[in-house]
Amino acid sequence: MSKLTINIDGKEVQAKSGDTILETALAAGKYIPHLCYCPGLKPEALCRLCLVEMADGELITSCRVPVVRGMVIKTKSPAIDRAVRPTVELLIKYHHERCAGCPASGHCELQTVMSHLKIDRKRVRRLRPPPAKRPIDVMNRCFDYDPNRCILCGICIRTCEAIHGESLLYYIGRGHETKVAFYGDEKKCETCLKCVERCPVGTLLAKNLIEAK
Amino acid sequence: MDANLIETGTKEILSTHGKGHNKLVPILLDIQESFGYLPENSVRQVSDFLNVRIGQVYSVASFYKRFQLTPIGKRRVTVCRGTACHIRGAPQIVTEIENTIHLKEGETSADLEYTLETVACIGCCALAPVITVNKAVYGAMTPRTAKELFNDSSRGDKNA
Repeated sequence: MSKLTINIDGKEVQAKSGDTILETALAAGKYIPHLCYCPGLKPEALCRLCLVEMADGELITSCRVPVVRGMVIKTKSPAIDRAVRPTVELLIKYHHERCAGCPASGHCELQTVMSHLKIDRKRVRRLRPPPAKRPIDVMNRCFDYDPNRCILCGICIRTCEAIHGESLLYYIGRGHETKVAFYGDEKKCETCLKCVERCPVGTLLAKNLIEAK
Repeated sequence: MDANLIETGTKEILSTHGKGHNKLVPILLDIQESFGYLPENSVRQVSDFLNVRIGQVYSVASFYKRFQLTPIGKRRVTVCRGTACHIRGAPQIVTEIENTIHLKEGETSADLEYTLETVACIGCCALAPVITVNKAVYGAMTPRTAKELFNDSSRGDKNA
């Protein structure tokens, strides 16, 4: 792999050709908000949070675009903020209200994005719909699924597909009532729990198996 | 509905379609058209026929409002809740119909006579507020005409 340099926020950064902009930035210690990106999985650019600005002012999803020699990229600009901030606010609006008690609290990607963008929680609270708590789904004997916390990033679905060739998990429904479910194939799950491991928020929860036995 | 009837019916529908993932929606539409909903066994047959996971079939079927996973009534009552209908009184009409046929929105009566549902727009806002019963469209409804419609039709049924 040949090396090349690109310019991120006015700093020259070493990059490997073939890497995406997001990977290069993360490797250089430059955080770009992202939720649906997962190392090793084919990027889908679903979450639209990793937008960066090119030299000509165009916004692109950095998780899908490979680096090109001499690229000049901005990770912060008013245009990016106008595009990304509402997306995050709408995500949080339908997300579980409190972080306290969430098993993912502390290593939650959504918290990272929120603190990076300095999201105003009070402002988001105003956007919230009346609370309609959806019941937690029992997926199988190894893990549960909390639809109130799901951000529909699809990492669990793509992980299942990458490891087992074909995904057992699918999106069910439409709009903000969409959730992830097995639908009849739960017995075929080999319980590798990779989907639980990679869940960026606390949606998929491994059960305490010793307790269950 | 009879399980055998569903199986043979589904087989017939499948025989008219080729294989391929792009045939999924046309097949489901045909099944929906002939049975009024997507029976579980049909879905299983479709997933075997097209060699796709049953979850994928459900994923598609649950995305489109057109597909039903539970049996629907003989009379499918659809109340429009689009902007125009909403402003002209769709919520009151929904309440009135709910009280007349004793069903809540999204429910089907136990005798499979009625299904009550609401949709975002039927596409004839000039007639607002609109309801449809199967394929018949009733425009400019008021709570009273809605009530009469269902009282009359149930009376008509008893005479017939």
